[in-house]
Amino acid sequence: MLTIENIEVTYHHTVQALRGLSLEVPDGKIVTLLGTNGAGKTTTLKAASNLLALENGQIGEGRISFKGQSILSIQPDRLVQMGLFHVREGRRIFTEMSVEDNLVAASYALDARRAKPDYDKVYDFFPRLKERRKQIAGYLSGGEQQMLAFGRAMIARPELILMDEPSLGLAPKIVEEIFQTIRRLNSEDGVSILLVEQNAGVAFSVADYGYIMESGQIVMEGDVAKLKQDKDIQSFYLGVGGGEGAERQSFRDVKHYKRRKRWLS
Amino acid sequence: MGQFTQFAINGLMSGAIYALIAVGIVSVYKATKVVNFAHGYLIMFGAYFYFTFSVIVPGQSWAPDWLASWQPAWLLEMREGLPMFSPMGAVLDWVQNVPRILLGIAGALVCNAIVGRIIERTLMRPLMGQSIFAMIMVTVGLISIMSGAASIIWTADADFVPHIAPNAPIRFELFGTMIFLFGADLVNMIVALLIFAGIVLMVRYTKSGVAIRATAEDQSTAYSMGISVPKVFSRAWVLASTTGAIAGAILATRNGISPSLGLFGFSVLAIVLMGGLDSYIGVFLAAMAVGVMEALTQWRMGGDWAEIVPYVAVLLILLIRPHGLFGSKEVERI
Repeated sequence: MLTIENIEVTYHHTVQALRGLSLEVPDGKIVTLLGTNGAGKTTTLKAASNLLALENGQIGEGRISFKGQSILSIQPDRLVQMGLFHVREGRRIFTEMSVEDNLVAASYALDARRAKPDYDKVYDFFPRLKERRKQIAGYLSGGEQQMLAFGRAMIARPELILMDEPSLGLAPKIVEEIFQTIRRLNSEDGVSILLVEQNAGVAFSVADYGYIMESGQIVMEGDVAKLKQDKDIQSFYLGVGGGEGAERQSFRDVKHYKRRKRWLS
Repeated sequence: MGQFTQFAINGLMSGAIYALIAVGIVSVYKATKVVNFAHGYLIMFGAYFYFTFSVIVPGQSWAPDWLASWQPAWLLEMREGLPMFSPMGAVLDWVQNVPRILLGIAGALVCNAIVGRIIERTLMRPLMGQSIFAMIMVTVGLISIMSGAASIIWTADADFVPHIAPNAPIRFELFGTMIFLFGADLVNMIVALLIFAGIVLMVRYTKSGVAIRATAEDQSTAYSMGISVPKVFSRAWVLASTTGAIAGAILATRNGISPSLGLFGFSVLAIVLMGGLDSYIGVFLAAMAVGVMEALTQWRMGGDWAEIVPYVAVLLILLIRPHGLFGSKEVERI
């Protein structure tokens, strides 16, 4: 579905954000991309949806292809119409527009395909949005805003959704709900998903395959089942400590010793 | 009271023209966040294009006679024996001019749309992704380019241009006083108000309106919804330049044509700031208020003051409400 090969991204010609990153999202799978703040996760997604130009970022080298076609010269709006939808970090709903108009805005994705937007399906998924459809979206709660962001993605009927930290700033219960939706979109509609997260626990609960990135590079990858077993990932991302009886580790040791040893040497 | 109504109505009529000019500034600002300092000069181009197509072109030797003055037999017949300055005479004068008025308006609309598009494509779009300030400075530079270009292109002495509507005097009674208006002014006002209302309804209720509002709020997210942001940009510029063409044609009939028409844009910019840069309703009320204030000061204090008093009022309002009367601060979730 989506293949990123060895891309380099610089902002303002000076700041290098990605250095030779490669990843792949196979058809119908959920792939998660984990990493700490500033590792370049969001930049990776923006590169894939071609939004970098708006922020003065350039893709220097490498290839990105969506459904076998290079996307580098395709405008973002055209990409959405081809079936690649980017749910951006912080939800980015249109706060001054009504819930309904937010969904109408997403229906532009269907223009080229001559398809009709299916608002009922969104309201079916999220009954709460239906109750509030005339309201100004800025006054929705955080969880409802995230639902709206998902709703917009559903209207566009994408084949691939790039999802940037859907759990950001939400209560655990809402996060659970959101991730159920992700699972449902994947299993019912066969949508492939590239999920960027900091919350590895929930990301692993839905994903098939995982990538871990650091300073603009992939440092580890594998099936989620395998990654879950990895000791470093357990301690860095899943918060599983040494367990019963094991000596307590100082966080500094973990950070400086283990990480260097495994990933950067 | 009697004089008051008359002057207030005059004020509303010029207010409507201000609103028509303001709509272009607001539309470009809403879509692109660029305050277009050169809007007045777009209007000036509109006025000159109207002049070109309604006066210069029909006056050429190759142009058919009916274009300059349309005189079908029935018209001449009706003119027979009409007294000078009768309302009917004014209407008939207008009918003679209809072909060149239509050509003038069509020409102004098309040419100004092209100018707006060229500005957007060659000057604004390459700056997308850069700071907004860069684009705003480009519009400031455009002022010199456009006023210079106008004086190079249109060397002919400005002449009278035909009124858009029959300029028959109209008298009627309102609140016990006789009101006296010119038909053309009244029609100008109605045209301006209709265009304004049309744009406001379009932005609020149509799908293209959703695209404009989405772009206004968050360009890159609008882009990632499948909305073609560059297309929204160029539509906003074309909208501004075509409404500007109509405004220019109207101003040309009211105030005559000269490169100084462009200065008009600045007074309207003050009105736009007073109403709130991104609020059509606020700008409409501000335009009407300034129009009426101008007319009333002219009546009470004389023409010299008419240019000052309304703008002092604008300043005062901005001191109290820096975002303008209806300018939006961002919606915040509580």
